[in-house]
Amino acid sequence: MAIIELRDVKKDYLLGKVTVPAVKGVSFEIERGDFVSIAGPSGSGKTTILNMIGLIDIPSSGEVIIEGKHTGGLSDRELTRFRHEVLGFIFQSFNLIPVLTVRENVEFPLLLGKTRVPRNEWDQWIDYLLEEVGLTGWKDHKPNELSGGQRQRVAIARALITRPSIVLADEPTANLDSATGEQIIDLMKKINRELQTTFIFSTHDAKIVSIADHVIRLRDGLVIENRRKGEDVNGTESEE
Amino acid sequence: MNPVLPRIAARNLLRQRKRTMLLAGAIAFGIMIVTLINGFAGAFIRNVSENFAYLMGGHVFVSGTEYSPSGRRISVIRDTAVIDEALASSGLRNLRVQKTSQVMATLIFEGKSIRQNLTGIDLGHSSMLRDRLMLLKGTWEDAAQPDALIISEKIAKKLNVLPGDKVIAQFQTITGQNNVGEFRIAGISVDSSFIGSIMAYVQLDYLNSLIGIRNGEYMSLGIMLDRLDRSGTAASALYVTMKSMGLQLFERKAAQDGNAMTPFQAMIREQTRERWEGTRYRVYTIDEILSQARQIVVALDTASVFILVVLFAIVMIGLSNTFRMAMFERIREIGTMRAIGVQRNEVRAMFLYEALFMALAGSVAGLLLAFLAMAGLSLITFDPQSPVFLILRNGHLSFSLPPLRALFNIALIAALTLAAVYAPANAASKLRPAEALRTVK
Ligand SMILES: Nc1ncnc2c1ncn2[C@@H]1O[C@H](COP(=O)(O)OP(=O)(O)OP(=O)(O)O)[C@@H](O)[C@H]1O
Ligand SMILES: [Mg+2]
Repeated sequence: MAIIELRDVKKDYLLGKVTVPAVKGVSFEIERGDFVSIAGPSGSGKTTILNMIGLIDIPSSGEVIIEGKHTGGLSDRELTRFRHEVLGFIFQSFNLIPVLTVRENVEFPLLLGKTRVPRNEWDQWIDYLLEEVGLTGWKDHKPNELSGGQRQRVAIARALITRPSIVLADEPTANLDSATGEQIIDLMKKINRELQTTFIFSTHDAKIVSIADHVIRLRDGLVIENRRKGEDVNGTESEE
Repeated sequence: MNPVLPRIAARNLLRQRKRTMLLAGAIAFGIMIVTLINGFAGAFIRNVSENFAYLMGGHVFVSGTEYSPSGRRISVIRDTAVIDEALASSGLRNLRVQKTSQVMATLIFEGKSIRQNLTGIDLGHSSMLRDRLMLLKGTWEDAAQPDALIISEKIAKKLNVLPGDKVIAQFQTITGQNNVGEFRIAGISVDSSFIGSIMAYVQLDYLNSLIGIRNGEYMSLGIMLDRLDRSGTAASALYVTMKSMGLQLFERKAAQDGNAMTPFQAMIREQTRERWEGTRYRVYTIDEILSQARQIVVALDTASVFILVVLFAIVMIGLSNTFRMAMFERIREIGTMRAIGVQRNEVRAMFLYEALFMALAGSVAGLLLAFLAMAGLSLITFDPQSPVFLILRNGHLSFSLPPLRALFNIALIAALTLAAVYAPANAASKLRPAEALRTVK
């Protein structure tokens, strides 16, 4: 069974009196453990779709099903709890909490309620992730003492700390130089393999798209390509 | 609630140090002003009462009133044994008593004259007076002489007398006859008071013989307790004892409720209304005499709350705006937290914690500033002749802050701060995460 399923999802934004259709009816499935890229030019709807998968935005119509759960009609409190339990987030501009140290930032989601990590494993797990992202020596530093690449590594550790099923990353490399961006993607890929966490990231960098197991390409709020591990899932046209 | 939220709140305060200092400073200022007023009011009643208690020679007083055959009201306690007995069986401990008689007299020396209140006490043994009065000229040995007179420095200057000089006093006896007596200046006192300057002290027995009170009798008994705040209970105990001994007593109630009439007004009203046989006793306290001083304290404390609220109305606008600004500045942080799993009410709580910490920090700083100011102000020495002496303690301003009052002020500030910040905190909690995350600063 697919870990994520979108069924004819549409999203309209209201700009004054004008309705802007950002996503115009999108359906696809994502398999557990995949490394998924959502590609497309600026304004094509990548962020909007990721936000709806991430349950921080609600579709105008259609269904978002995550781990078999129909998320439509859940309350804000239930959505928040579900996000906390099942999802991890990585942002384009890192979005660390500036007053917390590296270690505290990574620990933060654990303090927000019940997670899949038992209390007695916390310290070990935090240390493991800090080691994994190469920041063991930086754990007592504040985010503003780190480089962009280091900050994004902290964000990756934070996204993984609750052992989520899915990690969503909206243009995680856009604020980094290309070499650092590649390192970040390699790191995400490595963790994806090791922990079997499903990663979904958006990008318009073709080089990064090529590492993905599954590419969903958008244009003007529609899926124009849906290709998984070489096979064309929907038979839509390919640009490559 | 989650301990990480107050931690973040506290660090956010430190992050914006300048802003925090400004707002906490405003809170501190308000608390400082109000604490000073409260501290002054708290000490005011105590100092006034203590000073009056010393002047009048007691915290609790017993006086007696009887009618002469001609129908004249006479203030005198004749059955002194019954008062001694009442005191002994009332269970009061650690007290000093002082028997006094008083008369208004004109002192005359070499053609100069001045009105004085002659207070007759046992000068040879009164420890209370010796504790309070400092003799500038003359000695307490001289004061033990039968015809001794102690006057204040001011009066001595006006009459141009020195110790050893003989002074004539003109006065009326208790039955209304004019009489004169001769006194010898035994001491000239530094009396740190303007009321003190109208008080002159003579020997009780000698004064009694001059005004027609028999030896051993007196007009009123002053009872000095070890603590001022015991005066009410002590007076009640004495009253009950005297009542149970079958003595005639003026009701204490009129004096106790204290708001409608002063005890003196009540006294006058009662006495003009009725007549009785024998002696009727009155038991009253320094507080009852000073019930109007208490009203001043209530007024000061009420004003302080008003000042606090008015001062704070301005601060509240600043607080509200500042936190609204903070919300916009941290909008992406809020969006991030919401995405990660922070609930709405937790976002609100985080802002409220921040406001609360600021209020508490400001309040503590304000209290410290107030204590410093109090310490500074109480270093000022006032002129002993100054008319403000009544509110002073040993010639210095003093302060006494009732702890409950301080707690009330802090609680009030905390509540007002939370009220001011509630709206922006709530707005922050209502932010939709996707919108918040999309916002670029
Ligand atoms: N809050 C909003 N209000 C109005 N229009 C919006 C809003 N958010 C997005 N849009 C519009 O929806 C469309 C899709 O936007 P979206 O941010 O999903 O694109 P994107 O692929 O992420 O673009 P980019 O690569 O620039 O991030 C765009 O036309 C955008 O202008
Ligand atoms: Mg985008």
